[in-house]
Amino acid sequence: MNSSSPDILALITTLKMAGITTIILMLIGTPLAWFLAKMKSRGKVFIEALVALPLVLPPTVLGFYLLLLFSPQYLPGQIWQQATGQQLAFSFSAIVIGSVLYSLPFVVQPLQKAFEQLGDDLLEAAATLGASAFDRFFTIVLPITKASFITAASLGFAHTVGEFGVVLMIGGNIPGETRVLSIALFDHVEAFDYAQAHMISISLVIASLVLLSMIYLLNRPNKSRLKTSNPLITKSETSKRFS
Amino acid sequence: MTGLSIKVLVEHDDFVLSIDEEVSLTGITGVFGHSGSGKSTLLKVIAGLNKQAKGKLSINTLPEADTLFDSEAKVFVNAQQRNIGLVFQNSRLFPHLSVEGNLRYGQKRRNNTPLNNFLDFSEIVSLTQLDNLLVKSVEQLSGGEQQRVALARALLAEPRLLLLDEPLSALDDKNKKLMLTLLAKVQKQLNLPMLYVSHSLAEIQQLADDLLVLSSGEVTHYGDIHQVIHQLTTHSEIFHQTSLSLTLNEHLPQYGLTSLALAEQNILMPLNQQVKNDSEVRCIIAASDISVTLHEPSESSIVNHLNGTITAFELCKSQVLLTVNCSGQDFFVNITAWSTKRLSLIVGQKIFIQFKANAVRTLC
Repeated sequence: MNSSSPDILALITTLKMAGITTIILMLIGTPLAWFLAKMKSRGKVFIEALVALPLVLPPTVLGFYLLLLFSPQYLPGQIWQQATGQQLAFSFSAIVIGSVLYSLPFVVQPLQKAFEQLGDDLLEAAATLGASAFDRFFTIVLPITKASFITAASLGFAHTVGEFGVVLMIGGNIPGETRVLSIALFDHVEAFDYAQAHMISISLVIASLVLLSMIYLLNRPNKSRLKTSNPLITKSETSKRFS
Repeated sequence: MTGLSIKVLVEHDDFVLSIDEEVSLTGITGVFGHSGSGKSTLLKVIAGLNKQAKGKLSINTLPEADTLFDSEAKVFVNAQQRNIGLVFQNSRLFPHLSVEGNLRYGQKRRNNTPLNNFLDFSEIVSLTQLDNLLVKSVEQLSGGEQQRVALARALLAEPRLLLLDEPLSALDDKNKKLMLTLLAKVQKQLNLPMLYVSHSLAEIQQLADDLLVLSSGEVTHYGDIHQVIHQLTTHSEIFHQTSLSLTLNEHLPQYGLTSLALAEQNILMPLNQQVKNDSEVRCIIAASDISVTLHEPSESSIVNHLNGTITAFELCKSQVLLTVNCSGQDFFVNITAWSTKRLSLIVGQKIFIQFKANAVRTLC
């Protein structure tokens, strides 16, 4: 019993980190995805590559650079320390910032794809009916791409829960602050406490499986409402004759 | 009198639209051109959906002009503030809303100016024959129904000008006729100026009062519909045809014919009881469907023969395009050079033109 309470604390820290990260991701990711979907210049591919970078880099690489930037020797770390009076590295804020960068592609990519698929047709129609850009976003874009928003948020959340490398590099292992489930799991394995390790692992597997199943259920092709019907095109003999 | 003052230049990679024209906004103005002529780009510029356009665009409602954009003065009124409706070729209905939801979308956002006479929702719904479809999802609708919803949705936003971008091109013949009749009715009832873009001259001829012709991004003709079609015919830019408006004499259902009046002469067409006493019929007669005789034929199955005077000859390849004036109306007649020589036709000669009732065509 004694050993399970630090794990509960780790669970709470994890949920708090993933929750806050997801909210920030949606706020940053939505305009970024919109911008990328509408952008036509060549600079687009560079931004897309930058966003996708965490997909291919070892998380420890990202963690390493963030650790440097967050330390008081570098400007971002200094600014943070002056503003808050606390060190940024090895803090809860540090792991949230790290998670936002690390999970960004999981939010931006589904949203960007949905916005691209939506296209301009319906938005143009709404504009000619008197809807402002803000109005169009909430009455056309959001309801039609709702499933993609849920997918983006779920993937961002799930991926943040599952991160290890970045947190280890910039967060360390401070209970209640930066000790998340994946770190707790690592500790148990190091200490040969396989029973506790199993508990955490199997819970994560089941929770992730349930979440992913729900995402796939939501995105089943027949649920898509983007398709507009394509009426038959028939050529009239009369109009051919006179035009 | 309202007008649209267009001084617009749009440059894309391989295409330039350059227009300097005052278009009168009364009734329906047809915009005709082949694909790539810039018709749809022009509509987008007017609607405010093209932000690259340079120049100046304003709606002139006396006593003042309302600028829609002026690239030099860096003025650009957004589409949502222009109060100009647009019906697209592909209805663009909102898939997450019902038919009624789509209709209410525009209605909720209409401009609340005291000058407006608010349209009654149910009046527009019954005018566009959507009464039984309100609760349906837009995906359940046929192509014709979708376009009627798109039209009603645009009308309920109460635009001061309605743009129509090939609204019939995705419809079958039956629905085309229905929409044409509906558009004419809507225009009359609401007295709403419309710009009607199409690559089908036959459609435009049925509806429009004026015609603007675009070719490679420039206006080549603009004026009264019949006059412009006559100009296009004499320039051989279109199939040679006579375009005319006639009034009803009487219906002759026992013979399957409708008799129309051209001054003191009669023209018979296939029975069309849609034609009412007070309305005019827009007809087209292909120049190749008319022939010429020197004397009035008395023993012929061809029902229409009108007397007239030859006013012009034009040689096009091996054919001759004759202009024959009958009771003030010019008719275009295609005959062979051989016939011209055999009948020794000359300008000023009095002759008869003849054509079958079936040659008198109308889309409605």
